[in-house]
Amino acid sequence: MLLDVGAALMSSGASTHRTRLTLERLANGLGFKIELLITQRALMVTVVDKNQEHFFSRLKRTSPHGVNFKIVSGISRMSWRVLEENWTVEQIENELRRLKKLPHYPRLVVLSVVGLAGAAFCRIFGGGLLDMLVAFVATFAGLFVRQTAVNYKFNPYLSIYFASLSASLIAGLAEFFSIGPNPEASFATSVLFLVPGVPMINAVTDMMDGNIQNGTTRLFNGLIIAFAIAMGVFTVRALFNF
Amino acid sequence: MEYIEIIIKSLAAGVAAAGFGILFNVPQRTILPIVILGAVGGLVKFGTMHFGTGIVFASFLAATMIGVLSIRMAHFKNSPPLVFYIPSVIPLVPGFFIYKMMLGIMSLSNITDNDLYLENLINTVNFGVKATFILVSLGIGVAVPMLITRKETVKKKKPKNKMVAVQQGQTNK
Repeated sequence: MLLDVGAALMSSGASTHRTRLTLERLANGLGFKIELLITQRALMVTVVDKNQEHFFSRLKRTSPHGVNFKIVSGISRMSWRVLEENWTVEQIENELRRLKKLPHYPRLVVLSVVGLAGAAFCRIFGGGLLDMLVAFVATFAGLFVRQTAVNYKFNPYLSIYFASLSASLIAGLAEFFSIGPNPEASFATSVLFLVPGVPMINAVTDMMDGNIQNGTTRLFNGLIIAFAIAMGVFTVRALFNF
Repeated sequence: MEYIEIIIKSLAAGVAAAGFGILFNVPQRTILPIVILGAVGGLVKFGTMHFGTGIVFASFLAATMIGVLSIRMAHFKNSPPLVFYIPSVIPLVPGFFIYKMMLGIMSLSNITDNDLYLENLINTVNFGVKATFILVSLGIGVAVPMLITRKETVKKKKPKNKMVAVQQGQTNK
């Protein structure tokens, strides 16, 4: 059960320290002591009961899937309630199942809001109204491609490449036909929604906590994503040859 | 006029932060705080830059501000601080510099003329160094308030004492 919670936390984008904290809090609430080994792709836990008589060890693989702060936030709240209200294991399992089933925002909402975010980015980097429109369309299409590619179970880096390719293709078309006052801004911002913000920031936090190994893993993950984005942009620039 | 521009840019940062928040599937009650945090971050960054601070230090200040505020927000809204600071910091990422750097690297591989090469190299390194330093300062700026204020948890003392009591009860048994 603890493994399930920990795996859910790690794969939805919590830092190593937070995972450890939450699991220890949970175990305290249930009256056990635990020792943890947390890595990016696997989790090992040893549970010792309070009389130090029985112990139990287990290893679990964590599957990487998208960032989901609802789970991080929900589990954190749950761990407090476990302490305060003396929950049983069964209650925790039910709550975890409920959290995992919580709906994401509807796809259209996500697409349009992230598109708006792209337009806002474009504004920050000095684009005009028409540039913002281009950035909106490019981001919208790029995210759509990425979600579709993820649904078809492509390699995550490959789906990021596809997304960056299609987003910059649209923005590149706009630049090619010189639509808008500052097309360079929309081209540069069209792929910004793919920025690996969570792995990068978690990498720094993990390293500052002394979890150097996990930090490096996350850092490299972020770098590979950045490389995938760059490859998409390069391809488009090579196509248009400017 | 310039002040209006700063405010518009900050609001844009807030909108961008909300977009990323929804992309990361944050709980609904945290969206408004994320917009505010993103806008405040933008305000600090562009405001201090207006008064002549370098972009690296301005980003650091903005990230620190976001970090501190997100801890307060975490008390209010019962969510871990990372839910707040990650989406709000992303609008500060220097996308334009990174893009310029990539362009520079690409064109370097094609240039044969020596003077042009040197000029391009200088520009590319300039953008690259700026982008790297901004990214690092963003990460550290967000992490530092977290490390300073955190001993065990960001929650207020009351539940913490309870936990200590529970633990002591167990050891006594």
